[in-house]
Amino acid sequence: MSKNKEETLKIIKGEDAWEPVGPTPLPDITDLRNWSMRLLKTYKPFYAPFCDLCCNCTYGKCDLTAGKKGACGIDIATHQARWVLMQCCMGLSAHGAHGRHLIDYLINKHGKDYKIDLGLQVDVEAPIIRTVMGLKPEILGDLRTVIEYVERGLIHLVSSTHTGQEGHYLDFENKSLHAGMLDLLAMEAADIAQIAGYNYPTSIADTPLVELGWGAIDKTKPVILAIGHNAAPINATIDYLQNNNLEDKVEVCGICCTAHDVTRRSDRAKVVGHLARQLFFIRCGIADVIITDEQCVRTDVPEEATRAGASLIATSDKICYGLEDVTEKEIDEIVKMITEEKKQVLILDPDKAGEVAARVAIAIAPGRKKEFINEKTAMKLAKECNGCNLCSEACPNLLSVGKSVKEFADGEVDKLSETFKLCFTCGKCEQKCPKNIPIIKIMQAVATKETYKMRSGRGPIHDVEIRQVGSPIVLGTIPGIVAFVGCSNYPKGDKEIAEMMDEFARRKYIVVASGCAAMAAGMVKDKEGKTIWEKYPPGFEAGGVLNVGSCVANSHIAGAAIKVANIFAKLPGRANYECIADYILNRVGACGVAWGAYSQKALAIGTGFNRWGVPVVLGPHSAKYKRLYLSRKEEDDWNIMDGRTEKMMDEYVEPAPEHLAIVIESKERAIVSIAKYCIRRNDTPVGRQIKLNHYIALYKKYMGEGFPDDLHLFIRKPTDVPMFFKREVMDYLKKIGWKPRQQVGLPTLINTYPTKANIADIK
Amino acid sequence: MKPYWDVNVLTGTKTAKIVEDPVQWASIIKKSIRPLYILGPDTVDRNIGDKLFLEYCLDVAKAGNLPICATAHVRKKMSEMGVETDSAYDIIEIINHLKDPEWQGVRKEGNHDLIMFTGVRCDLAERGLATLKHFAPHLKTMALCRFSHPNADFALPVIRKDTKWQEYFDGLVANLIN
Repeated sequence: MSKNKEETLKIIKGEDAWEPVGPTPLPDITDLRNWSMRLLKTYKPFYAPFCDLCCNCTYGKCDLTAGKKGACGIDIATHQARWVLMQCCMGLSAHGAHGRHLIDYLINKHGKDYKIDLGLQVDVEAPIIRTVMGLKPEILGDLRTVIEYVERGLIHLVSSTHTGQEGHYLDFENKSLHAGMLDLLAMEAADIAQIAGYNYPTSIADTPLVELGWGAIDKTKPVILAIGHNAAPINATIDYLQNNNLEDKVEVCGICCTAHDVTRRSDRAKVVGHLARQLFFIRCGIADVIITDEQCVRTDVPEEATRAGASLIATSDKICYGLEDVTEKEIDEIVKMITEEKKQVLILDPDKAGEVAARVAIAIAPGRKKEFINEKTAMKLAKECNGCNLCSEACPNLLSVGKSVKEFADGEVDKLSETFKLCFTCGKCEQKCPKNIPIIKIMQAVATKETYKMRSGRGPIHDVEIRQVGSPIVLGTIPGIVAFVGCSNYPKGDKEIAEMMDEFARRKYIVVASGCAAMAAGMVKDKEGKTIWEKYPPGFEAGGVLNVGSCVANSHIAGAAIKVANIFAKLPGRANYECIADYILNRVGACGVAWGAYSQKALAIGTGFNRWGVPVVLGPHSAKYKRLYLSRKEEDDWNIMDGRTEKMMDEYVEPAPEHLAIVIESKERAIVSIAKYCIRRNDTPVGRQIKLNHYIALYKKYMGEGFPDDLHLFIRKPTDVPMFFKREVMDYLKKIGWKPRQQVGLPTLINTYPTKANIADIK
Repeated sequence: MKPYWDVNVLTGTKTAKIVEDPVQWASIIKKSIRPLYILGPDTVDRNIGDKLFLEYCLDVAKAGNLPICATAHVRKKMSEMGVETDSAYDIIEIINHLKDPEWQGVRKEGNHDLIMFTGVRCDLAERGLATLKHFAPHLKTMALCRFSHPNADFALPVIRKDTKWQEYFDGLVANLIN
């Protein structure tokens, strides 16, 4: 459907001449379709069906195995692509609704004309919103405009998944990429809103180090635990405690992204850990009051809270749990309902929920016993184990749970302690146990109570930081930006995240983290007792390790890449998606790592990064997302234009980045691959030398002697060869018959496909 | 037959033929023209009894003259043991190649007609086998894995005891040599 140009310009305040309006303001699903298709020509969808059937409509079930079609005509590839779009839409809607709620709430509080001020270091306040929509948000009301645009897009995307709609996998993929793009847009709006509305830290890199780990929670005080992603209610608790001089007397802590955002509000708040610690911590009984908000919250929290003797306040229309809505009641009455009548309640007013939580915690904590199970009692429970191993079979992380429990019963603690480190505490093992052994509870006796530090979220990368590192990133002398994001569905525990981050920080990459990954990275100490957050500087610089914040702050990572194009390279960004994405794909050596991604949100985020031209490495569990974007480096289309001459290169150009979304099985292989995925066609010889130096060194460290079998593809001329390996590599190249080739002057895909983008913009 | 891991229970109609007898397993391998043996990281991270898992796999490869694709970080251990691998891809990359009937294989002699997996993380292996089941009708897959894989064409039953697993390897090696 064609758009009304006048209406578009009105929405994006086209008369505001901060930059000329580019070719794609407020893009609809098909406006950037050609860009998607060009990406998909090289990075083809790879499908790994999780289920061979389609159960979507009443024609079914339809078996789609090996070439069969469903009653509607759909094939297995298209069905997988449809599933991926549905999942991306779930992720997008979660972030979008989160943003919508926060923005509406903050507008009610401060008014729609409340100014967005991200501090002296951030002039380009919303690089994604500017580039995608063409809008420069100045007030909270502008952020509502962003969410309205996202909501409109979402309706069309979800509509296409209905039976009898879209019929080609590539078009489903274009829609998934569009959903991912909208997802990052919604996240940026949400995080800017909360930074502005809650005065979260911005324009500083050195944010406070906050306490991390379940052992850090002082159980002698009343404890309020927030779970989820929307910090509005728990921030209200902080406000209530501060206003009543109670902050010292009550522990406020969080699990998952709400923990990030409450520590941005108050550095006295603590982080229990990532989402994999949810059931474990609730069952420890430390929390007197549990506040649930939205996303990644267990659906059985009411049952678990009851079991643990904790009070529960649900605060989101997304998660009502069948509870009575008491929003309209007086606070005193609600407190009485919870403390005396032991009711769990739904309170949809964040301010009211925040105050109730504080008052209830203070009232009930003195009467609660918070004792952990001791080793002796735990062993007695473990002795019930008959060794059937049904618990192990149920484990989603393929752990030998049964063996660990059995050995623990025999007095061997270490194995169960190690199992706990790899455990998601989902509780599936307990459900299978014919002896009803409380395995998660037993783990209290072996789980370390050590405390850690995590740097609280800092929000956007500063413009001045971009100016300082833009040149070395584009030339390649800073070897890459590696962003560790996403959830805690790790194959081998938190340790791997910390190790990967440390490897790249030591090598002077810029290392960024967010969400559960930032927490996991902090839960490991080096020999000197320091976490990665205490070991490295917090700036966006070579060797810096940054925490941007919660899930929605992932937008600032994409924002940093956009800013390199827009601020450093001065590319016009306004409504100029393709030019900026093309610049990132070909010139900004960034790689995302979602090693424990589990949620639909994580899929949407990753897919959004892919459309911006950023490759994403996923851990082994993510094969269950069913779709990847892979190339075949020696066969696929690597044709590219030299933007200076506007002519196609007539010889092979290196496959960089090689994939857009790939699952890698082991940490060792992932580290080597990440170094490779930071290579870009724009690298100068010095930059390429540095990148290849790391690629080769890491290969030798993790894959053994010799060279990567694709090394020659990334060497254009002898000047690309790292000095340290010069002789060895040149001998190898001679042996395999390598021949030098030209470096692309200004690599671009613009004009290699039908596009409204202007190639002059990239020069 | 249910695989060991619940996460790998099949939701579909086409399931693996269970091959309990190593004689039959060896016979399937022998009938293939261009087999490929894919080794995953469990082979270097675990022992069977006192012997490294990888050593059993290398015995099978040697006995059957099977080219090896070392995935993840398996290449390093092989290299330390003085064994050269025919190829080193990660698991998803090799599957992506195998999907293409025109791919020339790890020995550049044409795509493989029989793919055998061992030691790939079980949930990931199952996804890879699903890809090949749906998108690579030109080849057959075998999961030489004690945890059983319904998405393969041929799979083992669940083998719970180390001794039985060792026996299976020994029987397979003996029958590949004969």
